[in-house]
Amino acid sequence: MLDKHKGEKISTQIESTIAFINGILGMNEDLTIRRFHVFGQYQAVIMYYSNMVNQSTVNVDIVKALMYVPPHLIGRSIEIKQLTDVLMNDALYHSESRLESELTVLVDSLLRGETVVTVEGLDHSLIINTRNIDKRSIEQPATEQVIRGPREGFIEPLGTNISLIRYRLQSPDLRIETMEIGRRTKSKVAVCYMEGITNPELVKEVNNRLSKIDTDTVMDSGYLEQFIEDNHYSPFPQVQYTERPDKVVANLAEGRVSILVDGSPLALVVPTVFNQFYQTVEDYTERFVLMSSIRLARLIALIFSLVFPAIYVSIISYNPELIPTEFAVAVAGGRAGVPFPAVVEVIIIEISMEVLREATIRLPQQVGGALSIVGVLVIGQAAVAAGFASPITVVIIALTTIGSFATPAYNAALALRLLRFPLIILAGIFGLYGVMIGLILIANHLLSLKSFGVPYLSPLIPVDFQGLKDLLIRGPLWLMNKRPAFLKPVDETKVSETMFDELEKTSTNVLDPLNDKNQ
Amino acid sequence: MEPRQITVIQASAVLVSTIIGVGVLALPLFAVRAADSGGPLVTFLAVLLAFVGLALITWLGIRFPDQTIIRYSEVIIGRWLAWIGSMLIILFFAVLTSLTAREFGEVVVTSVLKSTPVEVTVIVMLLLAAISTRHGITTFAHIHTFYVPFLLIPVLVIVALSLKNAEAINLLPIWGNEQGGMLKGTLTVAALFQGAFILTAVIPAMKHPEKAMKASFWGMVIAGGLYIVIVAATISVFGSEEIKQLLWPTLELAKATTLPANILERLDAAFLAVWVTAVFTTLFSSYFFTIYAMSHLFRLREHKLFSYFILPFVFVMAMLPQNIIQMYEIIESVGRIGLIITTGYPGLLLIVSILRKKRGNRVADKKVDQID
Repeated sequence: MLDKHKGEKISTQIESTIAFINGILGMNEDLTIRRFHVFGQYQAVIMYYSNMVNQSTVNVDIVKALMYVPPHLIGRSIEIKQLTDVLMNDALYHSESRLESELTVLVDSLLRGETVVTVEGLDHSLIINTRNIDKRSIEQPATEQVIRGPREGFIEPLGTNISLIRYRLQSPDLRIETMEIGRRTKSKVAVCYMEGITNPELVKEVNNRLSKIDTDTVMDSGYLEQFIEDNHYSPFPQVQYTERPDKVVANLAEGRVSILVDGSPLALVVPTVFNQFYQTVEDYTERFVLMSSIRLARLIALIFSLVFPAIYVSIISYNPELIPTEFAVAVAGGRAGVPFPAVVEVIIIEISMEVLREATIRLPQQVGGALSIVGVLVIGQAAVAAGFASPITVVIIALTTIGSFATPAYNAALALRLLRFPLIILAGIFGLYGVMIGLILIANHLLSLKSFGVPYLSPLIPVDFQGLKDLLIRGPLWLMNKRPAFLKPVDETKVSETMFDELEKTSTNVLDPLNDKNQ
Repeated sequence: MEPRQITVIQASAVLVSTIIGVGVLALPLFAVRAADSGGPLVTFLAVLLAFVGLALITWLGIRFPDQTIIRYSEVIIGRWLAWIGSMLIILFFAVLTSLTAREFGEVVVTSVLKSTPVEVTVIVMLLLAAISTRHGITTFAHIHTFYVPFLLIPVLVIVALSLKNAEAINLLPIWGNEQGGMLKGTLTVAALFQGAFILTAVIPAMKHPEKAMKASFWGMVIAGGLYIVIVAATISVFGSEEIKQLLWPTLELAKATTLPANILERLDAAFLAVWVTAVFTTLFSSYFFTIYAMSHLFRLREHKLFSYFILPFVFVMAMLPQNIIQMYEIIESVGRIGLIITTGYPGLLLIVSILRKKRGNRVADKKVDQID
């Protein structure tokens, strides 16, 4: 509707401006149009959406300030020619204000929550940023909790999120570029990167991909992810999302680009490689020996969640000779009353587990806990007692499910959860041979995948010896002195190489009893 | 074309994982048939012979660093002669692909999936290879690099665990009891290394083609070393006379080994499962080389089109041998013909290119990825 009025200028009669705004937005109850007199002599009108602005700012800093002549100008006559100048420089008590002369811009500003003041006889309107949207407070990130590390998470408004990043990264090199995406929602999208670290080509490509997006609504950063990812049909996510400002800052400092959307508490980070999905913030805040072993445990859980049921099925159905005889007998005894082949049994229990999990997420919090216990414990126990499933199957599926929760990234865990099913079916058809075929297909797919040109399994393949320090284990911070080479950063050095030796050499045992001079 | 970004490590990984394949399962049998307890020596001689062939290819590749053998053979001996040579190479690799698939199909059907028809296991392996060939040569190198540990570790574990049953006396005399069959045996074992010919496709995509010799040296040392270790371990455990009764002695070696603490009671099924990767990489290389060479011969920009196109032909060829015995006869004779194609032909090309003073372009100023 606005397009056909593009380029039309504001006339000096306020009535025609009011008529124009009324024609486009007038049917809305929450649009306030109030007439008043500037300095008691010029006709003027103030327009805003009453629920999107800070009322007291509008009243005190704008309306009151414009009604009265500024004290230091009392007694002087103010001509219409000087009026703009006086309004901007002497009267208005608000720093974020500007002059606009296009009608369509007025409408856009109103929609964004800004206040428009138009004065009779002026061919410019004042636009004052009075936007004030209610927001929730900054809380602990719900999906990425840590024991050791900052407790702040992003919230919906973009401005707050940018402030959370800026106060952690007080560097002049932090660049934030914004654009509007979405024909209807006009969502503000911010692209953040570090000048002098991030590869400029990467920033260009991110901006290029984002600017090509032509859609009517952008509700969340997840919409953008689906447009800018490299392989749209892969089960594996090629863009990481996070609700932790410290994680975004760490990624920016490594040379990645972050994308934030107004209205979304989740920031995107590109490019993404697979190892990011099992790294957590705590890996870096806690000491490296402990976290390396915990990371290994997490990796085992990740592999478990993918292959465990498939291996179980193929061993039970095809190669029971692999496991020790006593155990094989026990397993066979457990399965004695079960009417289905192992693959059907496992798939049925797997699907019920998925249903239970999905139901637990949707349930109201008050009953969720109780029902999940009923679901998992009681139904599992009853299924075994009824001869519907063997106890060992329930154990296997339970372990697998728990394993899939140990993967920190929900979307990566989801991919592995999904791929588990074809693997189970392959195991049912071809045994261990089928499982290997499936795993090779998955591995080949991962090896061919790219995120903004970075091979998905970097730094493992292609091998980058610096990157290997942060792959399976988390190397000491002072040894990981280079930024990831696959990001091709402008400045590679992260930690000064001589620093650690220097630190070791100059440290002294000041409180050693041997040095005590009183003795 | 993709930028040249295959490193020396990746090139040697391609060689290692291509060479180590299904042939390893029957390898000790070939070696023992030739020279009894001289098996390791035969294998060693075969490694040397194979390295000569590989060195010829590498040398040629370094002379023509931005072309595959299909293209530079045209420069060296003229379009029509080269066309015949290239067709032979393509045909040979198609046959090699089908025989590899069939051999492993037979192994699977005989030892684990006893009631599955061999057609199914063969087509599954071929499909797996065909799907994976739809990517470029850089991804090809990445895939090979990724799988190398999965080939080396299981074999080394089995060899190490089998040492407790090993008798060094079985390896004596190291030159064997009869030297008559040694030459033939060396040729048979050397034929198992023919996959190394893939290097002719890898060199033009290498970041530093001049370092290709290093890659082929290390590739041959690792793969050849593993071959010798396997033969030595199998002979020392079973003795040469017993091996002659076994179809796949390496698999029997896995069967005879148990993990400490009885975690897995038998290892053969697990070993075979892991060995799927080794067979896959070999199959992948020969399949990839077939269609890559075809696309270069017909001067097409992409090799993807042939991925599924040659699948039926390869499958039919794989089904031609009537049984395992006939299949191994064919494998041995194809292997010997292959030696002429993969060693004799490049040797000829090299001599002619030196005589005619033909050289490819230098690639120092070509598009190369800086960081890797």
